[in-house]
Amino acid sequence: MLIRLKGGRVYDPANKINGKIGDIYVRNGRVVSRPGTEKPDQVYDLSGKIVMAGAIDLHSHIAGGKLNIARILLPEEHRDMVEDRTRLKRSGSGEPTMTSFTTGYRYAEMGYTAAFEPAMVPVNARQCHLEMADIPIIDKGCYAMIGNDDFFLRMLAAKKDKKAIRDYVAWMMNATGALGVKVVNPGGISAFKFNGRKLDLDEKTPHYGVTPREVLLSLAGALEGLGVPHPLHVHGCNLGVPGNVETTLDTIAGTGGLPMHLTHIQFHSYGAEGDRKFSSGAARIAEAINKNKNITADVGQIMFGQTVTASGDTMAQHAHSHLANPKKWVCMDIDCQAGCGLVPFRYRDKDFVNALQWAIGLETFLLVDDPWRIFLTTDHPNGAPFTSYPHLIRLLMDRSFRNDMLATVNKHARVASNLGAIKREYSLNEIAIMTRAAPARILGLKDRGHLAVGAAADITVYSEHANKEKMFSKPDYVFKDGQLVARNGRIVDVVWGTTHVVRPEYDSAIERPLKTFFNDYQGIALDNFVVREGDFPEDGRYRFKAHPTKKRRAA
Amino acid sequence: MSGLTLSLKEAPRQRVDLSALTSAIMDGKTAKEIAGLKLTLGNRKCSLGDIFKVTGRPGSRLVIDNCTDKIDGIGARWSDGSVIVQGNAGAYLGKGMTGGNIHVYGNAGAYVASAMGDGHIHIEGDAGDFIGAPQAGIRVGMNGGVVRVEGNAGDRVGDQMRRGVILIEGNVGSHCASRMIAGSLAVLGDAGPNLGLGMRRGTVLLMKPPSHLPATFNDCGSHALPFFHLFLSYIESLAEGNQTIDPSRDRLHRYAGDLAVDGKGEILFYNY
Repeated sequence: MLIRLKGGRVYDPANKINGKIGDIYVRNGRVVSRPGTEKPDQVYDLSGKIVMAGAIDLHSHIAGGKLNIARILLPEEHRDMVEDRTRLKRSGSGEPTMTSFTTGYRYAEMGYTAAFEPAMVPVNARQCHLEMADIPIIDKGCYAMIGNDDFFLRMLAAKKDKKAIRDYVAWMMNATGALGVKVVNPGGISAFKFNGRKLDLDEKTPHYGVTPREVLLSLAGALEGLGVPHPLHVHGCNLGVPGNVETTLDTIAGTGGLPMHLTHIQFHSYGAEGDRKFSSGAARIAEAINKNKNITADVGQIMFGQTVTASGDTMAQHAHSHLANPKKWVCMDIDCQAGCGLVPFRYRDKDFVNALQWAIGLETFLLVDDPWRIFLTTDHPNGAPFTSYPHLIRLLMDRSFRNDMLATVNKHARVASNLGAIKREYSLNEIAIMTRAAPARILGLKDRGHLAVGAAADITVYSEHANKEKMFSKPDYVFKDGQLVARNGRIVDVVWGTTHVVRPEYDSAIERPLKTFFNDYQGIALDNFVVREGDFPEDGRYRFKAHPTKKRRAA
Repeated sequence: MSGLTLSLKEAPRQRVDLSALTSAIMDGKTAKEIAGLKLTLGNRKCSLGDIFKVTGRPGSRLVIDNCTDKIDGIGARWSDGSVIVQGNAGAYLGKGMTGGNIHVYGNAGAYVASAMGDGHIHIEGDAGDFIGAPQAGIRVGMNGGVVRVEGNAGDRVGDQMRRGVILIEGNVGSHCASRMIAGSLAVLGDAGPNLGLGMRRGTVLLMKPPSHLPATFNDCGSHALPFFHLFLSYIESLAEGNQTIDPSRDRLHRYAGDLAVDGKGEILFYNY
């Protein structure tokens, strides 16, 4: 079937199209070139509308073990926010910890066509994929958490060569069906188990005697050597600690030019100045990002309201557990591979710290010059549920609205932030970059995030509106692989997306020591640990797509 | 006195959730509109009028006739006026209630006065488990008001209670006053095992030494503090017609705990 999207204003920054009026033709789920005389089967008249590729969220905790623990911790959310099933949709509940099916619907309704789970503990890989197999419409993928697991730390402590580490990382990505690798508080989760409560970038972990910097460089180097498109996804040291801006700057300075993605950087941009020993480090961080082209970051913006923080960083979560609101929290170990901490949070606009966190996030967005290297996230659900993205986009695009909001927050925070003085407003083209083109590029998804001929027909159509929150919360049309799935912010069809993976090559000799290690220490046998595509029958709706690795650099 | 009467047409075989019928909803509505209110019956929706015969007109009084223990959420979020239940009530009677009063002539199910804020609940028969406790996942239970049960009550009475008074004239099951944050709880009959487990603050009054106390409670000896007389007088006035309490006998034995948490709770009882 040939579909013609006629006369819309197209924002496709990957192909340098900035608001040009034009037609897009779609056939069999792909964007195709203009056919000669063939009459399209369907024509959508999009005159006056805005056309972009489907949006991509590269960091959103939507699957895997810890989200289920959060759901169990917060039964009230699933009692109070309930959605009945309809002819088309399954029932669901919750918001910060919404159920799998609802996650897919909510993303699609907002014009998002892909979201990536950033913290899959390898031992939870199967669970994670099974949950993603229950997230309809959107494309998915996940990053395997490495860097605090004993096998890796032993290798590092024993000063194994780069090839061995590369093989392990590649094996792990294959075994867990990952698109990338994330490291959470490098070495810190391991240190926590040996009674460490704080670990700086160059501090040795209590048991293995390796430093977080060594972990970072070793993993980032391994990924670079393997040619994995997505650079190391880094949740750095000292999350949420006032003064951690120094650690983050140190991390950036010490990458030695290796590409790194610093995630939810807002939580790592805190100074320790002022009367309350808490200040914004956003300007310094933005400056460092502007200067170091090898660094990308997503913000992890907070929004005021109830949510739950879910992180593998047991050390940070344990330190913040006294702030739990409502008063309940969980910290636990996950099969000695990583940790897990869940602390419910209610961010309040009248609270100095929360209001400044909010301002720091926005400052970061506005002070980083290059929208190709900064991404729009709330670190769902840690900063806020992803459903707040339209509101966040309005804050970025509308300075007077931003200043109105700023006027309502804690006045000491207002004084401590220079947000009010920042004049920048994001353009539609820049929003299209940071939510479409740039995430696709940094994840190595060649046929997503843009609308050139041959691209997947993930397309979102908006009506121009002065209120950008309105505009971005209810797109007129959302197409997933050429199928119309949502209209005016309502789901009209349910399709199933693809799960993106990268399968780098490795020397299978690594399996021998791994087998011994699994037999000796893990609660699961190696053969059962490995996730295979055939493990997910699910009516054939769960498909992997393997993306090629980059050309290897001469080692 | 204006009032609305709901009369069960027949005993329902599945649970009915009546919590949508709050005093605020009734305000300014006709009996017909009330009959059209959507309720959950088992796993489907139905109208209130399908289950109940509705007579009278909405006002400060709601009477539920031939009520059975399948009717949940009676008087939920009630803020004003009175509810009279002829027969038994189901679970979550007076859940989140903030004012007014509820009188049940029969028995009530679990979670009576769940996270209640204020008001008065009087049950002439027995009550189930978790009186005053919040729903699963919530960390603060009953936060004010008075509950009086003339019969026996189940386990976990006063779980996570924070303020208010619960009076049980019969016996209670296990884990009475568990995780109690504060408030007052009086039991005129026997208390089951693990009384006060996880109790942070608050007062539990018994008429005789408990059969079992957790090891994390400490004996503080017997006292005749002025507070005891006031407390006993109040409980006596609450338990009108019950002869068990004699405020002039105001020397009480005191145990403090639960030391595993805060240790500022107290269990008081007559020891002679």
